[in-house]
Amino acid sequence: MRRSARLVVFGVCLAAGFFLAGAAPADDLAVRARQIHFSSIVLDTHADTTQRLLSGKFDIAQRDAEGHIDIPRMREGGLNAQFFSIWISGKILGPAAVQKALDQIDAIRTVVRQHGKDLLLAATAEDVRRARAQGKIAVLMGLEGGHMIGNDLGVLRIYAALGVRYITLTHFYNDEWADSSTDKPVHNGLSAFGKDVVREMNRQGILVDISHVSDKTFYDALEVSKAPLLASHSSVRAISNHPRNMSDDMIKALAAKGGVIQINYERNYLSQEYNDAYKTVAGDVSRMEEQFQKKCGDDAECQAKAEARFTKQLVDEGKLPRVSWEKIIEHIDHVVKLVGPDHVGLGSDFDGADMPDGMEDASKLPRITEALLRKGYSEADIRKILGGNMLRVMEQAERVSRELQVQP
Amino acid sequence: MSRALFTACVCILAGFSLAGTVTADDISVRARKLHFSSLIVDTHDDTTQRLLDPSFDLGRRDPSGSIDIPRMREGGLGGIFFSIWIPSKVTGPEAVKRALDQIDAVRRQVLRHPSDLVLATTAAQVREARQQGKIAALIGVEGGHMIAGDLGVLRTFAALGARYMTLTHSGNNDWADSSTDKPAHNGLSDFGKDVVREMNRLGVVVDISHVADKTFYDVLAASKAPVFASHSSCRALCDHPRNMTDEMMQALAAKGGVVHINYHVGFLSQEFRDAERAHPEINKQIAAEIDKRCGENEACQLLEGDRLTREMVAQGKLPRVGWEKIIEHIDHAVKVAGVDHVGLGSDFDGANMPYGMEDATHLPQITEALLRKGYSEADIRKILGENTLRVLAEAERVSRELNAEKK
Repeated sequence: MRRSARLVVFGVCLAAGFFLAGAAPADDLAVRARQIHFSSIVLDTHADTTQRLLSGKFDIAQRDAEGHIDIPRMREGGLNAQFFSIWISGKILGPAAVQKALDQIDAIRTVVRQHGKDLLLAATAEDVRRARAQGKIAVLMGLEGGHMIGNDLGVLRIYAALGVRYITLTHFYNDEWADSSTDKPVHNGLSAFGKDVVREMNRQGILVDISHVSDKTFYDALEVSKAPLLASHSSVRAISNHPRNMSDDMIKALAAKGGVIQINYERNYLSQEYNDAYKTVAGDVSRMEEQFQKKCGDDAECQAKAEARFTKQLVDEGKLPRVSWEKIIEHIDHVVKLVGPDHVGLGSDFDGADMPDGMEDASKLPRITEALLRKGYSEADIRKILGGNMLRVMEQAERVSRELQVQP
Repeated sequence: MSRALFTACVCILAGFSLAGTVTADDISVRARKLHFSSLIVDTHDDTTQRLLDPSFDLGRRDPSGSIDIPRMREGGLGGIFFSIWIPSKVTGPEAVKRALDQIDAVRRQVLRHPSDLVLATTAAQVREARQQGKIAALIGVEGGHMIAGDLGVLRTFAALGARYMTLTHSGNNDWADSSTDKPAHNGLSDFGKDVVREMNRLGVVVDISHVADKTFYDVLAASKAPVFASHSSCRALCDHPRNMTDEMMQALAAKGGVVHINYHVGFLSQEFRDAERAHPEINKQIAAEIDKRCGENEACQLLEGDRLTREMVAQGKLPRVGWEKIIEHIDHAVKVAGVDHVGLGSDFDGANMPYGMEDATHLPQITEALLRKGYSEADIRKILGENTLRVLAEAERVSRELNAEKK
């Protein structure tokens, strides 16, 4: 009796809620958006939070005044799967690069072990779904820069064994076997060894990430790879003409092979206006990186902070325009119009880039879902963009790996 | 039908009665049965150096070394620790990367032979491999210098499957003294103790082969899990710093550990060791010849070392050591430390084997010799592998406890 009475009260409240929502259509959408968002797998393919883990001062379990990612803000933003990037400067090569990469992998594995109630190390699409079912955040690993394999396919296989599931072929500089989009070409794309790297990645089930690579490297990788490619954090060149972004032709070619472009929230890549102004006041990206490196040495967290301070000051002085988070939606929508909803996703670059206004951290992610819903996107398409597309690409890479492993 | 059966029975009975008349054959039949129904684990093999050559196939019988799948099968080997080893002089990131390459080489051979080999990281997995009729391949890191002073690298090795680490090789590293170098840390440094604690937490067995006596005692005080010597013999029988004194073996046993007898002639035989020391020019000559033949190729160095030593023996310049010496060492260790604390750590493909123990196919001789000495079947099984599996399982238990404490 008492139970059913409670149920009736609950029912009335729900009805009242719906009625109220019905009275104001905007709120109705907001409620639906939250429902969709928080029942989806929201998978972000690129965050540089690993650099903060190395400092030893950062506690991922506490809401931090700085940075973009921690467990409370991921929970608040419904972010339940995150690729942590393993990154060192492209100037560090050979065995030193390998050991530094191992230290970052260890830092990620350690933080997962220490926060087992909230985090789960995931290496497959199935793992991501299992994490979600257990109410945990799936932590995945991506290696940002092929220079960290030390020109050694054995090291690449070791990374695979440790759980790395994508490798960005280059960072800002060319490595010894692939050209970067922000360096002078020396390999005419991918060298013969670079092609072997791609083939071994296919065998190991590591996704080939073509963010950062030159256009020629992209087309070479597309031709060699048996699995779909991933741009883990790149945006649309038609909207902001930056070499780090992808042209419409590239996006079409990527989609034709089943791949996915994960939109980067960095202001330079989102906004042409900002990018133009930035070039005028600061020069190109790699030149800026060198400056921050001079100041901070190898401390990547220090570099990121210095860069954020630098741009904040320029924005405050009016030398750089404000960029709104809605630009992210424009980029997503451009890709969807170009190649459909199966080939776009989210690659924030949290903790590694300057975020637009309104996307200050992971807690703001539900806005993306709401904006897409308001634009008239179907629930199914939104779920694809939030994470479903990336899961599909991961499953494809897993399948290709199995097929190649059984071949003699 | 029944006539055929009857004939068969008569034949079997005749066989038994014949065996009964010749006791020696009875024992050898029992020995083979015992041997091939036991789980035999060898805790140290340097075969990994050969795996670095991409053309080397562990699936092919290759008499130039001591270990391959056909001969492991023939010798009844059920579990083998592949040693990850680079010289002590290689340090820092270079050492780390080369260790990764060797771990990769072991993992690839396992992938290449899925019906014969399986990568094992726990005692239960070794038993499971056995049930599937496969050989368990395990990974041991021989030399703490390969972690490059970085506990993160140690954790990475553990994540990749390494289940023991020998704290030093022939030279000291930055945090532990070796038995064959001048002491620099008075045993284990503070960081060395941190390494041991982290190994305990990770379930990586602390291997005290190669370390200085003082390092050994420091380890014993610091470690929460039993430790083992993966490939060391008895100093009372052959006075070499690489071997363990009776006191050390007793202390090791008191903490539940195991000494795995090394078959290297220089560790087995005092006579051989005396001859080597009396004529240092012989080893110099061998070293020069190895250098000429092999350069930096470590696999070649190890195999040629064995071959050249045998040439010296054939020329009468070094004494001939028989495989029975292994039994003497096992028996001594059993008498001193107890039957629960002795095992096999051949050093195949990394040392000079005694006559009669040229490769893994000769292992059944050990079982037969122990049986003839009057060892019980249960005790022989312990020596062949069960003691090692007990230490692995203990290390796993301690690891679980320490991880639970941290939470």
